[in-house]
Amino acid sequence: MAAAVGRVLRLGGRWSAAAPGGPRAQTLRLIYTTTAVQRKNVGASGPEKYTEEFIKKQIEEFNLGKRHLANMMGEDPETFTQEDIDRAIAYLFPSGLFDRQARPMMKETYEKLLNAQKYQDQLTAQDLPPQKEERNLAGSRWLTKIELEEMLLEKLSDDDYSRFIRLLEKLMTLPCGDIEEKYIQKFSKEVPVQSEKAVIEPLKYDEQGVAFSTSEGTRKTSRATVVVYDNGTGKITVNGIDVLHYFPVLQDREQLLFPFQFLDRVGKHDMVCTVSGGGRSSQAGAIRLASAKALRSFVTEKETEFMRQAGLLTVDPRVKERKKPGQEGARRKFTWKKR
Amino acid sequence: MLPARPKAPPRPRESRAGRRLRAWLPRLTQVRWSRYNPSFVEPEVNRELYQKPWEELSEEEKKKFELKAVQPVKAAPPSVSSSVFSDPMVSKFTNMMMKGGNKVLARSLMSQTLEAIKRKQLEKYHKAPEDEKDTIECNPYVIFHQALKNCQPIIGLSSITKGGKTYQVPVPLKDSRKRFLAMKWLITECRENKNRRMLMPEKLSLELLQAFNNEGPIIKKKHTLHKMAEANRAYAHFRWW
Repeated sequence: MAAAVGRVLRLGGRWSAAAPGGPRAQTLRLIYTTTAVQRKNVGASGPEKYTEEFIKKQIEEFNLGKRHLANMMGEDPETFTQEDIDRAIAYLFPSGLFDRQARPMMKETYEKLLNAQKYQDQLTAQDLPPQKEERNLAGSRWLTKIELEEMLLEKLSDDDYSRFIRLLEKLMTLPCGDIEEKYIQKFSKEVPVQSEKAVIEPLKYDEQGVAFSTSEGTRKTSRATVVVYDNGTGKITVNGIDVLHYFPVLQDREQLLFPFQFLDRVGKHDMVCTVSGGGRSSQAGAIRLASAKALRSFVTEKETEFMRQAGLLTVDPRVKERKKPGQEGARRKFTWKKR
Repeated sequence: MLPARPKAPPRPRESRAGRRLRAWLPRLTQVRWSRYNPSFVEPEVNRELYQKPWEELSEEEKKKFELKAVQPVKAAPPSVSSSVFSDPMVSKFTNMMMKGGNKVLARSLMSQTLEAIKRKQLEKYHKAPEDEKDTIECNPYVIFHQALKNCQPIIGLSSITKGGKTYQVPVPLKDSRKRFLAMKWLITECRENKNRRMLMPEKLSLELLQAFNNEGPIIKKKHTLHKMAEANRAYAHFRWW
């Protein structure tokens, strides 16, 4: 403001000095507007970027702060290590740092990461190839957020948790010594193989010696019971009615044939089903699940695993969502009226 | 025009209290949740992936397979099947054409469209001289896919407000968005610009054949969008993602 006013006066001064003639009306002419009028849009440049200069600046600030701390403690600023900093903070703040942003985040894990990186640098310096043993990713998982909170006895935010997991994964990719391995194993858990959970029933044989297998399936409110016979011609009977009459829609018949087509057994089995409840699509889905479960007895373990991965053996948990008070439906709100 | 910037990823499922809270404060709590646990993985229905013998799989595929053995899998949706006749693009298009949940009608319209395309192409095929017969494509699925591919825009526009003014900024589109726009334009075009008497399958087959030959109103719409994006090139640096 003052600069602008000064500039205006200077202008006025220059103008009156330059004017040879008589008194003229002094017009104020601003050269350019002040920064107060030109507001900078801080949000437009996006989130803060971690450039080289930013990192260097942060390192300088940290070193400066370290020297100040050393001075405060009466120690030598040149030889002030991380342990000395920790001891100084413990001395100055005996009850601990209360402000969340003042506390160091995931200090142990970061230290382990730095150690692992130093170890890798050592290896490359000695010209040894970076050994990375293949850890079996399939059998283990990281702790969930709730389990981690229980372990640390401290509340975590989703953001913190995701950052921690990312750090652990980065640590996994680097070759590190035993201490780091044990540290990582503290945060991982075993996962059992999925397909071993369900028990496959053995085949039964009826009077003619034909093998058959029974099972049940559900979808929404439909319940279906299915008997799949071997040595068949592909005939399907639902509630005593032929499938073409019971399911006039092509999509439902496609769903019934899906497990058979997937296993290449389209004309080889007969099926007798009873189904109740639900609508046409959910009845078809229930029969599909039941027939897939029944076919497990006829088929090898590997093929059941393929069926599971194709989504044929999972019960579909989706049901009609409840209507809520204050809304017209489950999600639809009443028409918004301004007044 | 595109909606604004990409939103934050959805949070995990909430408790009953959260759901009750959500009924009273619909704007303040997250709505997107699913009946499945977040650890469930999408099912893979394509049979060819499962028919490859174990030795022929590459290292990556073997690892993926081992990983999948421990992951629970969602149930396959009722519109999907492993037969050769189920096409994900065609199913998506049928769903977009569907009105009021009437899948039966939408599916019959779709099959009538494909039939109409086949008939028209066969007519052309039989009338054409011998040397041109090779160039005429009779498979309606090939025509459908190629027509949709031709309709997909490469670049889109997004409204960005900067300094009080709203600018149309050219922005690269994701594949899913391109496919969606192509299908949406096709359906809107067929619903709005047709004769009262003309039925949907007829009009759709006409539009698809025109799009297959890179002509017609939808291709024109795509070109106008590209031209507008080219005209607004100066604002391209407003994009921050």
